[in-house]
Amino acid sequence: MNAAININGLSHAYRDTSVLDSVSFSVLRGNCFIIIGPNGSGKTTLMRVVAGLQRPSQGEVSVLGEDPRKNPSIYKSMALVPEDEAIYERLTAREFITLAARLAKVADPDASTQRVLETVDLVDSAHRRLGGFSKGMRQRAKVAAALVADPEVLLLDEPLNGADPVQRAALIKLFNQLGDAGKCVLVSSHVLDEVARLGSRVLVIAQGRLAAAGDYHALRDQMDDRPHRILVTADEPRRLAAVLIERAVIDGAHVTDDSVEFNTSDVDGFGRQIAPVARELGIRLRGVNPVDDDLESVFRYLVEGR
Amino acid sequence: MSGAVAPLRAIAVTYRVILRQLVTTGRVIALGLIGVAVAVVGWAVGRSNEPFEFIRLENAVGVVSLVAFTIVVPVVALVFAAASLGDTREDGTLVYLWLRPMRRWTVVVGAWLAALTVSVPLTVIPVAVTAVLLDVGGELVWATVIASVVGVIAYSALFVLLGLLVKNAIVWGLAYIIMWEGVVAAFGSSAAKVAIRGYTSSILTARTGVELQLGDVSQAVGIVVPVVIAVVALALAAIRLDRLEVA
Repeated sequence: MNAAININGLSHAYRDTSVLDSVSFSVLRGNCFIIIGPNGSGKTTLMRVVAGLQRPSQGEVSVLGEDPRKNPSIYKSMALVPEDEAIYERLTAREFITLAARLAKVADPDASTQRVLETVDLVDSAHRRLGGFSKGMRQRAKVAAALVADPEVLLLDEPLNGADPVQRAALIKLFNQLGDAGKCVLVSSHVLDEVARLGSRVLVIAQGRLAAAGDYHALRDQMDDRPHRILVTADEPRRLAAVLIERAVIDGAHVTDDSVEFNTSDVDGFGRQIAPVARELGIRLRGVNPVDDDLESVFRYLVEGR
Repeated sequence: MSGAVAPLRAIAVTYRVILRQLVTTGRVIALGLIGVAVAVVGWAVGRSNEPFEFIRLENAVGVVSLVAFTIVVPVVALVFAAASLGDTREDGTLVYLWLRPMRRWTVVVGAWLAALTVSVPLTVIPVAVTAVLLDVGGELVWATVIASVVGVIAYSALFVLLGLLVKNAIVWGLAYIIMWEGVVAAFGSSAAKVAIRGYTSSILTARTGVELQLGDVSQAVGIVVPVVIAVVALALAAIRLDRLEVA
């Protein structure tokens, strides 16, 4: 089975700054692939190079067997939803989507426009100018414009930005349906919680490099196995730390006057035991908060092993 | 390019979109006021009591050459043509034309036609009215209309290209109009050969018989060369667009 997207040794630099460094991967048709990475990791640049908007400094990009920089006719079968809010502010949503339909040689642009307006739930606002749209509505209009030509390959750069929880759920369901329908869907996100719902196959980009790739759940396990730091505020932090160390629940602790930062590689075990141990010792817990659960920490672990 | 949108359809759709983005009330009013100011100058000069017909004609051609072809035509063309693709490049909306299965030259031509659609009435009408108010006969009016159409065609193509080459194209374009078309070209005949104003002045000279500093080629050359400049500028703009890194 031929890959819909094939990236080989891709590097990209702005002047002397490397943004992407030797990235290689393939995405088959019928796959919904998620690119995750912290802000500034190179996700948007990767999307733009795959879309042909930017030329790679090194390496090869092939979409449906074609180099998008050399063959613009590929855009009949490929669409990008850019992250930027930029949009034709003086056009209505319907005009914007119809424009995309006409320029993609869609057989019945008006009917196709109506179909995708319904898909993204913008029918009631279709007559309004895009300049008056919220960020979430603009995103949905851009998604509709990308879908109107029924592309084989769909690139979505942070498509859930600005969407409210209901719209977010609807869009996630839509992207999964597109993958199920045999489309190649490449979605970027910097929000880990979205990833599990978007699909099971992920690419982790950090500092311009491909840090990890594969099944999301395996990756998540790998993330969960890393050492965690948890800040606990309690009445007697020193006594609490001593007992937890004695019972091998934690690997180490750093105690201050009213709090203690625990290191543990078994975060689930820690979660199960901290409250019963505190109750047993008569210690009142005032707060239990992970201090390294942000995305950057996860990527730091994956990339640098710390 | 197989599978591409038909060129005429691509040009028409690009034209409509860019025209909608270009025509803002602020731009039209500001540039319309320049036209009104020029017409007022024409009216004031036309009311002078100069008894000699030829001196009146010389004065009138001088006014048209100065205010119409060093200010109105290049500046109006600059504002709309540089914005046609330059603004879309800078505000990020170029991506919606780039990511379409169509030839890049059709985008350039659509943008140029959109710029012309706004620039032609905003230049030709006020400068023609100015020529009428100068009250020296129909030949100056015709010469002004022909030269302004030729000028706006060439300047628009040149400034569409400029909008794709540099950021802040308005600033660079004004520098070009003032420094090259206004100053450098006035000092040397070779420089005038590569200044559009030299050709518009030649049309005025050829049709009115009034010698102008830069008007030293025939009317035919004065028309053909700016058209060639426009074609070359549009071709270069298409190549530039094709090679552009769309941010």
